Amino acid sequence: MKIAVCAKEKGMESIADDRFGRAEYYVIFDTDERGSETVENTAKGEPAGAGGSAVRLLSKHDVEVVLVPELGPKAVDAVNGFEMKAFRYADRKTVRETIAAYQAGDLQQIETSTTKSHSGLRRA
Amino acid sequence: MKIAILSGKGGTGKTTLATNLFKTKNAGILIDVDVEEPNSHLFLKPLILERITIKKGYPVVNPETCTLCGACGDFCRYNAILPAKKKVLVYPELCHDCGGCQLACPTDSIQYQNRTIGNVFSGKTESGLTIAYGDLLVGEVSGVPIIEHLRRMTDKEPLVFIDSPPGTACSTVAAIEDVDYAIIAAEPTPFGVSDMKMVVELLRSLSIEMGVVINKAGLGDQEIYEYCKEENLKILAEIPFSKDYAKSYASGGMLCEAFPEFREKMEQVLDQIIKD
Repeated sequence: MKIAVCAKEKGMESIADDRFGRAEYYVIFDTDERGSETVENTAKGEPAGAGGSAVRLLSKHDVEVVLVPELGPKAVDAVNGFEMKAFRYADRKTVRETIAAYQAGDLQQIETSTTKSHSGLRRA
Repeated sequence: MKIAILSGKGGTGKTTLATNLFKTKNAGILIDVDVEEPNSHLFLKPLILERITIKKGYPVVNPETCTLCGACGDFCRYNAILPAKKKVLVYPELCHDCGGCQLACPTDSIQYQNRTIGNVFSGKTESGLTIAYGDLLVGEVSGVPIIEHLRRMTDKEPLVFIDSPPGTACSTVAAIEDVDYAIIAAEPTPFGVSDMKMVVELLRSLSIEMGVVINKAGLGDQEIYEYCKEENLKILAEIPFSKDYAKSYASGGMLCEAFPEFREKMEQVLDQIIKD
């Protein structure tokens, strides 16, 4: 199974990003092969709808679980539409530690939006 | 003649200029196309005679014939349509109503439906002048269709004053496209000059003739004068900063009626622009 984490930089030792749709990178960890790859977030500069676009990007990489700091209403719809699961992290640790927290069952699954809808590049 | 009054920065006096030029000229039509926060009508106080609902299209996907091929999502530049696993998600408020997804769909599964995004109001002032303004509904992303409606409505009019939105985004471009003259309302502050530079660049790229009215003159610094000189920009008038003007404005007053010297400034601007 593939797990994606929002990341500031490339690789497993990067600090997790504090945004989802406009994160710099996604580090995708494959739990079967124990390997990771970093995908640049091509949606981060979108004027609007970055969250949905990012979910589509992750789906193309066969991601099933995404670990996020927050998720807006449109992104929640997209996560559901692409049949992924989203879990929320509160602390900004490394990607490796965030995945470990998920595997230990310490992260809460997101069922509804954690932020208000916003347009464009505004911070939540 | 179509005259747009615009500014880079907000709060530099677009509406003050637009409404007072209009009132001083006592002819033509004024349209307020700053549809996110129209305010010309607060000063001109028209009796509203007509309201038109403005609608905008968005795609609706037929799940019976859609093969989830993804062509619509690949085409859309605004992330308004998202082909997911079992159905296509549509975000109507992100849609620019371009029709591209419908063309891209190989199975002809997309139809457009309309939804209301705002209104256009038009009416007459006490002295019989016509004014129209647009009002975008809260939560909507783009007021461009409303602006385009106001522009089309007044396309054949001989004299139109256009109170434009601030900034240099899509809505400003829609407001000023094909105007004959642009008046830049600018204030002599570092922010004012910085934002004005973007407007000058925009107007030049659209080949629109322009002039500058320096509002709140006496505040700030000299940078705006140096910039206008360097760029060979015509200063049409300077309106001094005045607490009396601010008080009158804040209570909805028309400066050209309360202050004769202000009216003279408006006449001075009009004389330089409108040549008949």
